[in-house]
Amino acid sequence: MAKTQLPSEIARLRQQTRRTFLGDCQVGLGALALSTLMSADATPAAERTTNPLQPREPHFQPRARRVIYLHLTGSPPHLDLYDYKPELVRLNGQDAPRSFVEGKRFAFTTGTPKLLGTPRQFAQHGQGGVWLSDAIPHLHGVADDLCVIRSMFTEQFNHAPAELLLYTGSPRSGRPSLGAWTTYGLGSENENLPGFVVLISSGVQPNGGKNSFGSGFLPSVFQGVQCRSKGDPVLYSSDPSGMDRELRRLSLDALHELNAIQGKELGHPETATRIAQYELAFRMQTSVPEVMDITRESQQVLDDYGAQPGQASFANNCLLARRLVEQGVRYVQLFDWGWDFHGTGPGEGLTDGLTKKCATMDKPVAALINDLKQRGLLHDTLIVCSGEFGRTPFREGRTAASNILGRDHFPDCYSLWLAGGGIKGGTMYGESDELGFSVARDKVHVHDLQATILHLLGFDHTRLVYRFQGRDYRLTDVHGNVVHPIVA
Amino acid sequence: MLQRRLMVGLALLAVLSSGRFAAAAEEGGSELRFARDVQPILSEFCFQCHGPDAKAREGNLRLDRAEDALRRDDPVIVPGNAAGSALIERVVSQDDERRMPPPSSKRRPTPAQIETLRRWIDQGARWGGHWAFEPIGVSGTPVVNDSRLARHPLDHYLIARLEQHGSRMADPASGSAWLRRVALDLTGLPPEYELLVDFQQPELPDAGERAADRLLASPAYGERMVWEWLDAARYADSNGYQGDAERTMWPWRDWAIGAFNRDLPFDQFSIWQLAGDLLPESTHEQKLATGFCRNHMINGEGGRIAAENRVDYVMDMTETAGTVWLGLTLNCCRCHDHKFDPLSQREYYQLAAFFNNQPVDGGGGDPQTRPVLEAASPEQLRQRDELDGRLTAARQALDKFEQQRFPREDGQTAADSAAAAELPAEIREILKNAGSQRNRGQLEKLEKQFAADNTHTALLQAIRSAGEARDAVSRSIPRVMIMEELPDPRENFILYKGLYDKPAEKVGIRVPEQLARYDAEWPSNRLGLARWLFAAEQPLTARVIVNRFWSQLFGAGIVKTTEDFGVQGDRPEHPELLDRLAHDFRTDWDVKRLMRALVLSGAYRQSSRATPELLERDPENRMLARGPRGRMPSWMLRDQALAVSGLLTRRMGGPPVRPYQPNGIWEEATFGNKRYEQDHGESLYRRSAYTFWRRIIAPSVFFDSGSRQTCTVKQARTNTPLHALLTLNDTTYVEAARALAWSTSDLHDPRERLRQLFLRTLIRDPRPEEIDILLAARDRLARQFSAEPASADALLAVGEFKNGPVADPIGATSWIALCNTILNLDEVLCKE
Repeated sequence: MAKTQLPSEIARLRQQTRRTFLGDCQVGLGALALSTLMSADATPAAERTTNPLQPREPHFQPRARRVIYLHLTGSPPHLDLYDYKPELVRLNGQDAPRSFVEGKRFAFTTGTPKLLGTPRQFAQHGQGGVWLSDAIPHLHGVADDLCVIRSMFTEQFNHAPAELLLYTGSPRSGRPSLGAWTTYGLGSENENLPGFVVLISSGVQPNGGKNSFGSGFLPSVFQGVQCRSKGDPVLYSSDPSGMDRELRRLSLDALHELNAIQGKELGHPETATRIAQYELAFRMQTSVPEVMDITRESQQVLDDYGAQPGQASFANNCLLARRLVEQGVRYVQLFDWGWDFHGTGPGEGLTDGLTKKCATMDKPVAALINDLKQRGLLHDTLIVCSGEFGRTPFREGRTAASNILGRDHFPDCYSLWLAGGGIKGGTMYGESDELGFSVARDKVHVHDLQATILHLLGFDHTRLVYRFQGRDYRLTDVHGNVVHPIVA
Repeated sequence: MLQRRLMVGLALLAVLSSGRFAAAAEEGGSELRFARDVQPILSEFCFQCHGPDAKAREGNLRLDRAEDALRRDDPVIVPGNAAGSALIERVVSQDDERRMPPPSSKRRPTPAQIETLRRWIDQGARWGGHWAFEPIGVSGTPVVNDSRLARHPLDHYLIARLEQHGSRMADPASGSAWLRRVALDLTGLPPEYELLVDFQQPELPDAGERAADRLLASPAYGERMVWEWLDAARYADSNGYQGDAERTMWPWRDWAIGAFNRDLPFDQFSIWQLAGDLLPESTHEQKLATGFCRNHMINGEGGRIAAENRVDYVMDMTETAGTVWLGLTLNCCRCHDHKFDPLSQREYYQLAAFFNNQPVDGGGGDPQTRPVLEAASPEQLRQRDELDGRLTAARQALDKFEQQRFPREDGQTAADSAAAAELPAEIREILKNAGSQRNRGQLEKLEKQFAADNTHTALLQAIRSAGEARDAVSRSIPRVMIMEELPDPRENFILYKGLYDKPAEKVGIRVPEQLARYDAEWPSNRLGLARWLFAAEQPLTARVIVNRFWSQLFGAGIVKTTEDFGVQGDRPEHPELLDRLAHDFRTDWDVKRLMRALVLSGAYRQSSRATPELLERDPENRMLARGPRGRMPSWMLRDQALAVSGLLTRRMGGPPVRPYQPNGIWEEATFGNKRYEQDHGESLYRRSAYTFWRRIIAPSVFFDSGSRQTCTVKQARTNTPLHALLTLNDTTYVEAARALAWSTSDLHDPRERLRQLFLRTLIRDPRPEEIDILLAARDRLARQFSAEPASADALLAVGEFKNGPVADPIGATSWIALCNTILNLDEVLCKE
């Protein structure tokens, strides 16, 4: 009996609350809109007390409106996936030329290591003839969507600093991450979901810790929100036990009425903003679990991705990435642990180990690309897939005598790929030297990659800045050149 | 007339630039001031290429120094003649090739800014240094027309300014609103009941003064004041980076709380932390204070180079000191001369040299890298002394026994005794040493050998157990990382691009002397540096520190960029006031005296009520025509919730605690290596300053806080749905609602109960309409709960708080839901 009365009562209250809320906003928002307009550059987003995630236009017409970044934590062996070096195969087992290794530091290798030609089979795929190995068969089918850069380099050869450099532009912690810069610049299109979502599989956080998806000195509203597969999908998004949605609604309605009185009494626009944020929180409590619930997908889609509800798998996360961008989330960051192929155990070997690990990756990634294409989202969704550096063209020192093949960390030259929004598919860019020790042509530094990603999103990377401790900071620090040839 | 012109100008400016009208309005007609009006424009548009950074300088032109900018040869600025000055010609040029800044920079001064430059040159191009580097000046207290609201000389500065703009201070907030505000600001907790009662005694005068004094004397004062200091000092309970091993720096944290509480003068407070070890005959406490410098992160990652780590730590120490005391951002200078401030890369490394001469080696492994200091409690010292005594006695007893058991000549050992002749060689070997010199393994062997002899084994066991007990106590004594000075100074170099392995030119140990002279009497070490920071002619320290304490109370500094007093930072909104405060503060560096003056000022007592007109004219409240208001920091929200619900424990100090946190957060962040073992009982209800701070994954109950990775002196204050979710749903807050509801459940009249809840949380009576809303909500909640009685039981079980028997679960839970609502009121979340 009581229950049947409730909906109408809630509706009445809600309406009343909304009216009060809007009424209160008139003055506040008007004044704020003005101050925002008048000082678009000078006012940091923290002080825009209206929704700091409201969508904004970038500097120029963007090619991509959202990003899915697939990070293979630990760094996959690019020489066994993307960069085919027949000469290295020919010289397999010989001493690495001294000139290549002398005076260099490697994480776990000293002395003269032995060259390691790939044990994988390579072939060219698609109309563009992109070289891909047999470890990633599902990617063969989408080769014409990929642009493989084979001339990447970085300065860092330990996981955490390399990851920080890739995502924040600096190897030390404290700077905002790529996703934070993106949402700072563009806002987000669905206010019921976080603008920047992080999904982690294989149970381990990225090496750079939360800094890899943090907001640094940007307001915390731009930090990546980790959506978890266990517990609350977003921290604290479950009502306390014993408090159901209707109870929560009732108490929020009372809260809003009381806050409205307070807003009238003291006249601060912040109070109106708070009412709005509590409403948003209420909606987020429903929308986050909804978007995270992949059982709403057809069996066909689940099969395409290889997704199984309830797991924290890379496959599930690829599918979630699609669901999130479809709902207007601006930036989705995936981290998948287990790509550190040192060869210290069978799972880290370049033969069976790599085959197994890739099987968990290439099928869902290919499905993601196809799925986005089918839904008309690929042309303005940028996908990037990389590690934080590459792996050596020689065997890792500690495991050189083992029968499991492994490679050490390698910053000087490696490969990654991009696809989707504004990317020239079916292409390869840059080249490594014959043995893969250095970049032979068209060097791309991680700062250049960052500049290019921001360019695709419509930003001049030198102008997307934030004033902090007396200096205009930007993602690319004082570096970065856009790699125009890979832009379609 | 002037009044009218100002008003018109005001209205116009309010439309043009809602934020900065105050400063702009004063420019109209009056003489320009270089530091305030001109230098920011030059800095913004010129210094990038014509500033202090020699490598970036173009066209051999410098505009940051008078001697270069006003050069006679090939002049750029001709004083008194803007039209004839190349600077103006280039700035207004329509020719892309000539225009400055160049079109490629995408920076354009506004017409008003160009006009300022023009007028400044026409007025004679009078140069001046950067305001913050100029000596602190004291002007006479301004005369005001209406001083009724002034409670302290500082108010005169604000009132005079407001009067100039035809405005005035707001009327005082109600006594209880002020009391809540000041209690939160000085203790981080709402006022206690006794304080409120005392405050409301009508017959006693000076209620405000008495309340402020009681709050300043409360131990909670130090627990509140320490928070910003912990952020600045990048304090954490783990090292950071991969592995993130635990460290023991909490004795330093407790020292800092104690120092605030006994009001250690701020100069001493600082000097001890920078160089307590170098003070003559330095005390234990002074050494402990240097833990400040050692709060840097420590990298224990495999494959890291120790020397590289060491350089990182030195840079971190240097930059932290730069931000904390000088308000300067130094980190740009690692790689190049500062673009805007007159600090060269050389000066950076000269300054870093002060922190370079210590033995920290950069190696990983031990989370407590040397040098360390034992920080034993009196009880631990007593125990250790006692066990030392027991051990000595046990050894003497054994030696005496063995003297008889193994008779021998003087000068011989027990092994030489005829009684030992039959013993195995190994045992005889051990017997060569007296009882005091045998290790545990040897004692065990002897025990086996002489198992048949009860007296002998008992004596051996006594030594062993006393030794083990002593070691256990010794191990339990925390060792805190501190600073020491190397006897032989290290050499110091400029590091190319800041790279540890690319030393370039050798440099000495020096401060940037343009800020203040370095007295030849001072040693060239951290102690000298600390003395320089607090020297009479040092212009920055007092300004920087006063400004930060001000911002703690008023929500924003007089200089808004509390972290940057350099050329790129904001100008002070009230320069004379800042200098007056800085000047007064450094007479004795007494923080409590400063805080007392501020909280009793008329400015602080104002009502925070905002009218649309005020909001439009001064949305950020820079002029302080109303009282400060803002959401309190997340840690204070938690402490408030614990306090009003009666859960808070007042036990101070000691190892960090682990209150509620959702499962799996540490595990996810640490390869599963770190398990969060939540504490129980009292530890759940300690003040937030005692919460374990894991550096790579901060406690999830806090938001908008410093990262505790590097020095932070300014926190963001954002307003997002995620915060709402936390204060609505986190166990901490739901349990607090439960305890709050329980503690008022003996009040059977619901109106009286609501009144009690409002008094506790907001220190005021509820308004009639608030009572109506809450009682109506309670009825609706009760109806909903009675539809699902199981919900009521579940809500009654959130958190570990044990309440007594509940006769009416439905009624009880509706009150919990109401309390949850009250704890989320905007007014409760804010300092009003």
